[in-house]
Amino acid sequence: MSHHDFHVSKGLSINHSSHDYAAPDEPPPPMISSEGVVAIDITRKFVEAAKTLEPGELVKDGYFTLFESVGALEIMDPKMDSGCLAPGESLDDDYDVARPLLPSEVMGIIDQLLCLEMAWHLGYPLSQTLLTNVYIEAILNPAPGNLQEAHFIRDPESEAAQDSMFTVLRAYCLGLLKSCWYVNERIKFEHYYEEEDFVTNTYHRSLLDNIDRDEIRDEIMSARRLVHSLRPKIMDDVADALSFRLELRAAFLRAIELSELRSSPESLSLPWSQMKAVWEPINKSRHLGTPVPEAFSTKLQRRLASTMPPRPIVQLSFEETYEHFKKLFVDAIDVLKVLNYVDSQSLLNFVLTFQAQKPQPLVYIRTLLQNFLFKDMVILGHLSIRHVIDDDLSIVVLPCSRHLDPANDDVEVPHDARFAIAHQMELFRQRAAQSYLDIFRAFCQNRCRVRRTLCHSIQDWETVQLDAEEIDQLLQVQLDEQPICYSTTLSPPDPNPTYSLPLSSWAYLYKLRLMEWIVQLGFELETYQPDELPGMYWYLSFLAKTRAQHAERIKGFASYRYNELRFHGALTPALEAQFNRSASYLRLTILDAAVTWELSDALTRLYVALARLRCITPPPRPYSSDELRYDIRMKPFSLIQLPELPSYEAFRRETEQADKSTAELLDAAQRSVGGARRGYERLSKMTEKEVFTVGAHERWVKGTKSCLRSVIAASIAIATVGKIVGEGDGGDAGGRLVVEVPRAEACYHDWWIVPKVTERK
Amino acid sequence: MEAAAARVAELPGELKYIQYEHSFESQYLPAIRALISKDLSEPYSIYVYRYFLYQWGHLCYMALDPSDSSLIGVIICKLEPHASHSPPTMRGYIAMLAVSAPYRGHGVATALVKMAIDAMAQRNADEIVLETEETNIPAMRLYERLGFLRSKKLHRYYLNGNSAYRLVLLLKHIDPDAAVDLALDDMEMIPR
Repeated sequence: MSHHDFHVSKGLSINHSSHDYAAPDEPPPPMISSEGVVAIDITRKFVEAAKTLEPGELVKDGYFTLFESVGALEIMDPKMDSGCLAPGESLDDDYDVARPLLPSEVMGIIDQLLCLEMAWHLGYPLSQTLLTNVYIEAILNPAPGNLQEAHFIRDPESEAAQDSMFTVLRAYCLGLLKSCWYVNERIKFEHYYEEEDFVTNTYHRSLLDNIDRDEIRDEIMSARRLVHSLRPKIMDDVADALSFRLELRAAFLRAIELSELRSSPESLSLPWSQMKAVWEPINKSRHLGTPVPEAFSTKLQRRLASTMPPRPIVQLSFEETYEHFKKLFVDAIDVLKVLNYVDSQSLLNFVLTFQAQKPQPLVYIRTLLQNFLFKDMVILGHLSIRHVIDDDLSIVVLPCSRHLDPANDDVEVPHDARFAIAHQMELFRQRAAQSYLDIFRAFCQNRCRVRRTLCHSIQDWETVQLDAEEIDQLLQVQLDEQPICYSTTLSPPDPNPTYSLPLSSWAYLYKLRLMEWIVQLGFELETYQPDELPGMYWYLSFLAKTRAQHAERIKGFASYRYNELRFHGALTPALEAQFNRSASYLRLTILDAAVTWELSDALTRLYVALARLRCITPPPRPYSSDELRYDIRMKPFSLIQLPELPSYEAFRRETEQADKSTAELLDAAQRSVGGARRGYERLSKMTEKEVFTVGAHERWVKGTKSCLRSVIAASIAIATVGKIVGEGDGGDAGGRLVVEVPRAEACYHDWWIVPKVTERK
Repeated sequence: MEAAAARVAELPGELKYIQYEHSFESQYLPAIRALISKDLSEPYSIYVYRYFLYQWGHLCYMALDPSDSSLIGVIICKLEPHASHSPPTMRGYIAMLAVSAPYRGHGVATALVKMAIDAMAQRNADEIVLETEETNIPAMRLYERLGFLRSKKLHRYYLNGNSAYRLVLLLKHIDPDAAVDLALDDMEMIPR
């Protein structure tokens, strides 16, 4: 069970022992008068009725849920009752915000605020982070109406308000709060999961949303000048340290402001680079600060609009804070590069590789990416959705096709085929656009949610595919398409001529990829137990082979059209370039599918061998059967009609491979791993244009090399097992092996769980 | 279940396992609360316990010390139609499981879980689900040894920021065509 913010509930649990409902000195009921309402005092009736209940009896209606019962509060329990004080405990701490602060204390407070700010970014509520600081509280409460009021000392004329250290701390806090406001707004506006990724609750505190950011930046700048002028009085290194911290705040505001432009990433990245640059000296100077723990109190939570009793302050160490901020700045600079659009597939690979990073970029960066991608339905600030979809269709299935000819739109004669094509294509785009963009959106979520979302998406893509097929059939009439007998390298020529069905082919290819991602994320999220691994790699291989066959089919039709155009002398260099781009993509898809199935096959065989050798044994599972577990594991795929989920029988056969000896299995595993190795080596040498990773190539190469390392590790493991099996050992070959199935994070690549196999000494 | 500093080498004889009844409230509810809240950063109100115990007391089992009948372990469950299924499944849910630290490692939790599964199976449960913290390896091992599978990971499910796994034990074959939405929904037992 999980806990939640407490809510007021309807329902009652009777507890005679602790309450006496019929206390004789109870106050009289309030006089209720309202037109049309007749008030009846039911206190007596209620008390009488309650007396008939046993302690612990539950009175509730049928709609009262567990969720509501979790929201119930117990009065006078200090962990639930926000007003409950321990004997002698005061409601507030008496901290005087007007007490003079040393420069080192200002630094200590700022550095603690940095830790709390990062804890908030990581998903902890403001109530347990920044709003535990007395200076922040004093600035925000009561809500300041203007810049002057936004001060922890509200009397601007007072001597204290003029204090230079206060000026510095206040300027820092203003910059901090304003950037928190922008961050919070950004996150709220995009798709994220409240309380899971982030808590946007501000507990009715306004994070300076009505104060202009330029005014705040001016305050920060004048505070920096003030620090500079103090140099004769305070140590140089302390002055520098304070100045860097103020610079960080100014740059953060500037970065947020610029990111709204969604253009020219080089100039947008300047303030982020500035933050990255000052972050090192900030880290190195933190020893100059003096912590002021009394300036932070959990008791401030009682003043917030929340029924939650005070909960502990989330304490990140500065080391952790340092690493997270460093990553934030690097990720922010990287994410801006998405704005350099080259083609739809590079865009997809950008998002995939960016989000696959460990640790995943913070939710603010992930929502920034969503904002760049989708804001106002304009992709990356300057592209129409149609532009991106048509680009994708042209790469994947329809190079140089009449389907995508923009001139179709200008035809106004309803009987003209081009008029019908334009109309049908528009219907298709309307049908598919959301599903297509949802792939990008899904990958901007946390990894657990990516997998869960994709489990839903495949059903959506199943219907997109069906609808697309209808449109394909209408279009093939308009285009006067003749069915052909295509042949591929993977399958013999089909004697029955078929149509190309480009739009549904496109949808099917995405559905297959989505299905593979679901399985692969299952490995990454450690969803499978060790004895499930052969089965899951077998299914992954099945999906990858299906994808390769499908890509071969698409390629077959593409080359047919290419040859036809060439034969008619209609191939211009521009058309040829489009064909080449598409051919490149299809070759890549087939190669990518091939390495996936080869390595999957190798691992399936290795794991089957290890199971036979009793190096990996399933738990006893007295309450389950293999078939029921297959049902539950394959649930996400069970409603998909194409490719149909293999029967349990087929699954069992393939994961037992009873017709092969263990030695034969290992030989086959070694051959597969050899194929995977050649494939990954080829892939890792390809250019960013060939693999469609412009803007993301470095991350992509890193991932591919990790796969290559997995291949090598698999090869070594297979060889080790093969050697022992080859030596034949009266049946106890397994006893001579030490096998460890590592955690995903301990593997070279978290989609390839390669067992560590060593010979027992 | 944190590692106990001092564990008993042996259980105090044959433990008594009994089904909860409403009449046990005054005798055992305080002990149940104390035992369960030991492992929780935030307590449940008495209301949550009563929500379960009053409606599904027959799915709650206690392990008692034979010498003084004091509480050593407890499991609390519920069983009801799962609404987002069509046709709905009978879904059992293991809400809480706790064994007093010194008595861990003797199969007390396993015995309690088995009793709860048996009771729910007898009452026609199609499936039994629960969530467990990703760091709680002993709990996951316990459930997985009985036949549970991890169906999904839940990001930052607990207030302490830890993620959870949803574990599922399917007791009956469910016809996929009969169900519109297959436990992929976001309607967790306790929606977040």
